Amino acid sequence: MKRMNWLGLGFLAPALLVIALFFLAPVIMTGFFAFTNMSTATGITGGDYMLNKSALRALGDAGLPDATLEKLEDAGYAVDEKGLAALAAQIDQETADEFARLHGGESFATRRDVERALKDLRQNRIRKTRDRKAAAELFKRSVLNERFGTEAEFRAALTAGGIAPRDHDQITAQAYTGWVWTTENVELLFTLPSTWRYAANTAIYVAFTLSFNVGFGLFLAISTFYLPAAQAATFRAIWFLPRILPPVLYVLMWKWFTWDTGFLSTVTGWFGMSPKNWMLDSPTHAWTTIVLINGFVGASMGMILFASAIRAIPASMLHASEVDGANRWQQVRYIILPQLRWPILFTTAYQTLSLLTSFEYILLATDGGPGRATEVWALAAYHTALNNYGGNLQYGLGAAFALVLVIIGILASLFYLRLFNFRQLVGKPLIEG
Amino acid sequence: MQLDLIGFTKRFDGTPVVSGMDLSVASGEMIALLGPSGCGKSTTLFAICGIHRIDEGRLMFGERDVSGLPSQRRNVGVVFQNYALYPHMSVFDNIAFPLKVQKADKDQIRRRVGEMAELVHIETLLDRRPAQLSGGQQQRVALARALVRNPDVLLLDEPLANLDAKLRLEMRSEIRRIQQETGLTAILVTHDQVEAMSMCDRIALMNNGRIVQIDGPTRMYRDPMDKFVASFLGNPPISFVTPEDLPCFGAPKACAEIGLRPEHVGPQFGTGLTGEVRFVETQGREDLFDIALPSGRMIRSVQPAGSGLRPGQTVDWGYDAAELLCFDRQEVRL
Ligand SMILES: Nc1ncnc2c1ncn2[C@@H]1O[C@H](COP(=O)(O)OP(=O)(O)OP(=O)(O)O)[C@@H](O)[C@H]1O
Ligand SMILES: [Mg+2]
Repeated sequence: MKRMNWLGLGFLAPALLVIALFFLAPVIMTGFFAFTNMSTATGITGGDYMLNKSALRALGDAGLPDATLEKLEDAGYAVDEKGLAALAAQIDQETADEFARLHGGESFATRRDVERALKDLRQNRIRKTRDRKAAAELFKRSVLNERFGTEAEFRAALTAGGIAPRDHDQITAQAYTGWVWTTENVELLFTLPSTWRYAANTAIYVAFTLSFNVGFGLFLAISTFYLPAAQAATFRAIWFLPRILPPVLYVLMWKWFTWDTGFLSTVTGWFGMSPKNWMLDSPTHAWTTIVLINGFVGASMGMILFASAIRAIPASMLHASEVDGANRWQQVRYIILPQLRWPILFTTAYQTLSLLTSFEYILLATDGGPGRATEVWALAAYHTALNNYGGNLQYGLGAAFALVLVIIGILASLFYLRLFNFRQLVGKPLIEG
Repeated sequence: MQLDLIGFTKRFDGTPVVSGMDLSVASGEMIALLGPSGCGKSTTLFAICGIHRIDEGRLMFGERDVSGLPSQRRNVGVVFQNYALYPHMSVFDNIAFPLKVQKADKDQIRRRVGEMAELVHIETLLDRRPAQLSGGQQQRVALARALVRNPDVLLLDEPLANLDAKLRLEMRSEIRRIQQETGLTAILVTHDQVEAMSMCDRIALMNNGRIVQIDGPTRMYRDPMDKFVASFLGNPPISFVTPEDLPCFGAPKACAEIGLRPEHVGPQFGTGLTGEVRFVETQGREDLFDIALPSGRMIRSVQPAGSGLRPGQTVDWGYDAAELLCFDRQEVRL
C-alpha cells in the first residue's frame, strides 16, 4: 500500500511540477501584481525615497501648504558634519576645522549669509568669490532631489529641514519611488468606462467568433460527410491550411486582402468605388475581419472534431433513418445533430476559454483599432502591462486585468468539468448497452 | 405485395458479389435467405431496401419498378442486425420516427405507435431509452419501428443473432406470429438453418452470390439439388461415402458420391454397412456416433439414447436405401 502511494506520487511528480510551474506560479504572480502599483517607474524590486519637482507639484495639488513646499525646496544652510567633510575635501582640513569652531551647528537662511561667514574666517579666509560660492553651496540642505535609502533617513531629513511632523506621512508616501500594495487597480477596473467597453468587446468577440467557429465547423463536417471520401479529404485539408500557417503570415494575407491597395479595393475599384482600408475603416468592418480571421482558423478544429464524431455514428443507424423515410435534412436534424451534442458542447466550452484569453490575431490585424473599437480584455491587459504607448508599463493594472480573466477561466473550467463528468455518468448505460 | 428480383447483380470495386440473382416472393410469404458467411445475403437485402444501388437487374414491388428509387421512397421496413435504434430518442420516438418524417399528424402517430406497441408487447416501455432495454425488448422496438409505416415488404437481417438461446426461441415464434398477423411479405436473412426452416415458408439457399435452390424447408432437406445444399442443411450434418462403401446398394453408374444422413443409418435398417464405433457423443435424448468404415471413411449415426454401444465395437449397420442421395462428379444430384 505504502509503496503504491510512493509510486503514484512518482508518476504524478512531473505533472505536479508542470502545474506548479506553468499554472500556479503565473496565477499567484498575477494575483500578487494585481494588488500593487508596479510600473516601469516603480520597478518591481523595492525603491528609495526621493522628492523631485513633479512630486512636489503633486503634493501641492494634494493640498500641502505652500510654506511647507517652500521649505522642502529650500531648507536653508546648515553647518553640519557632512558639509564640513565636503569642505575639507574641497579646500583643506584647517579651513574646515576653523569653520566648525566658529559656526559649528549653526544654520543660515540664505547663501549670502554662509558666504559672509566664510569670508570672515580669521586664519583660513577663502578669498575668491567663486570658491566661497561653491563652498557655501556644500552646506545647502534641501530634501529635494536627494536620494534616501530608508524611510528613517528621509524622515530625519524632513525633521532637519524643519517640516511640520503632521505633513511627514504624506510627503514620505509621495517620495517613495518603489511599488506599494494598493487596491487602486481593482477600483479603477470598476470605475473606468473603458473597462466596460473592453468587457463588451470581449463578449462580442467571443460570441461571434464562437458562433462562426461552431456553425461553420458543423457545416463543413456535415457537408464533407456527404461528399465522396477523396473529395471530402481534399476539402478538409484545404480548410485546415490556415491553422498550420504561421499567424503572422496568415494575418498578412488578410491585410493584403483588405488594404486600400489590396485585393478588395482593387476589385471594388473596377466598379467605381474609391479604395479604402476595408479592415480599419469602420468598427463593423474591423469586427467582421477579426471574426473571419479567427473563424477560419477555429472552424477547422470544430470540423475535424465533428467529422470524426459523425463517422463514429454507426452506419446502420444512418441506413435505418433513410429506410424510415428521412431525407438528408431530416437525417441531419434528427440523427446527426443530436449525436453531435457533446462534441458541440465540448468545442464551445473549450473555445470559449481559449477565445477569452486569446488576442494574438487581433493584435496582428487591428491592434485594437480603429480607436479602441476592437480592444478586447486580454489585449487591454497586454497593452497596459507590456506595450503601453506612454512608455510607462503598468504591470499592476495589467495584472488586475489578467486576474479577472484567470478568475473567469477557473470558474468556467470548474463548471465545464462538472458538466462533462455528469456526461460520463449519464453515458454509462449506453456503453454497457 | 409480391416482390420480384430479376437478374440482380451487385459489384464492389468491379468484383461481382451477387450475380444474376432471381428471387420471387409471393404476397404474404416469408422467405429465408440462407447461406454461409460472405455469400451475399446482406448485400441482397441492402439492395432491396435501397441502401446499395442495384448495378444490374430490376426490383419490382408488385407492378411497381423500384430499382431506381432511393430507400426513402421504397416503403420497406427493415430490422437491422444490431437493431440500429436511435439512442437519443425514447422508445416512443423511435417507433414514431418513420411517421414523423412523413409529417403525419400527432394523433395518428400516437394511435399507430400504440397499435404497434401492442402488437409487439412493449406497451409499458414507451418512455424508456433503448439503452435501458434488454436485447429482446430492443428487438421488439426495432420490429415495431419497421412495421409502423405499413411497409410493402419487411426485411430482417439476422434479427436473432444477438439474442441468447432462450430468447431466440421466443422471438422466432414472435416474429413469425407478427408476420402472419400483419400478412406482410417478408425476407429473413440468416445463416442459421434452424431459424430458416422453423420460421419461413420457403428457403432460398445462397452460395457465392448465387441462389442454389429455392424450396420449402422439408423439400429442400429431403430433396437437395446438389451436394452443397445437402451438406449445408442438417444437424448433425450429412456424411458422404463412395458407391464402393455400399456394395449392396445398386448405385447408378454416374454416381460418384452418396450422401447418408445420420438419422438414416443404424441397426434398425438391417445390415450391409460394417463399421467401428470411434466416438460417442451423448446429447441427452439421443447419442451421436462417429463410425469408421473399412475404407477409412467416417460416417455418422444418431440413435435413441441407451443403445449401449461403446467406442471400439465393430457393428453391422444398416441404412435406409430410400433416403440415400446420389451425386455425380459435378456434385449435382442424380
Ligand atoms: N461495402 C463493401 N465493399 C466491398 N465489399 C463488400 C462490401 N460489403 C460486402 N462486401 C463483400 O461482399 C461479400 C458479401 O457480403 P455480405 O455482407 O452480403 O455477406 P453475408 O452473406 O451477409 O455474410 P454474413 O453472414 O457474414 O453477414 C463479402 O465477400 C464481402 O466481403
Ligand atoms: Mg450479413
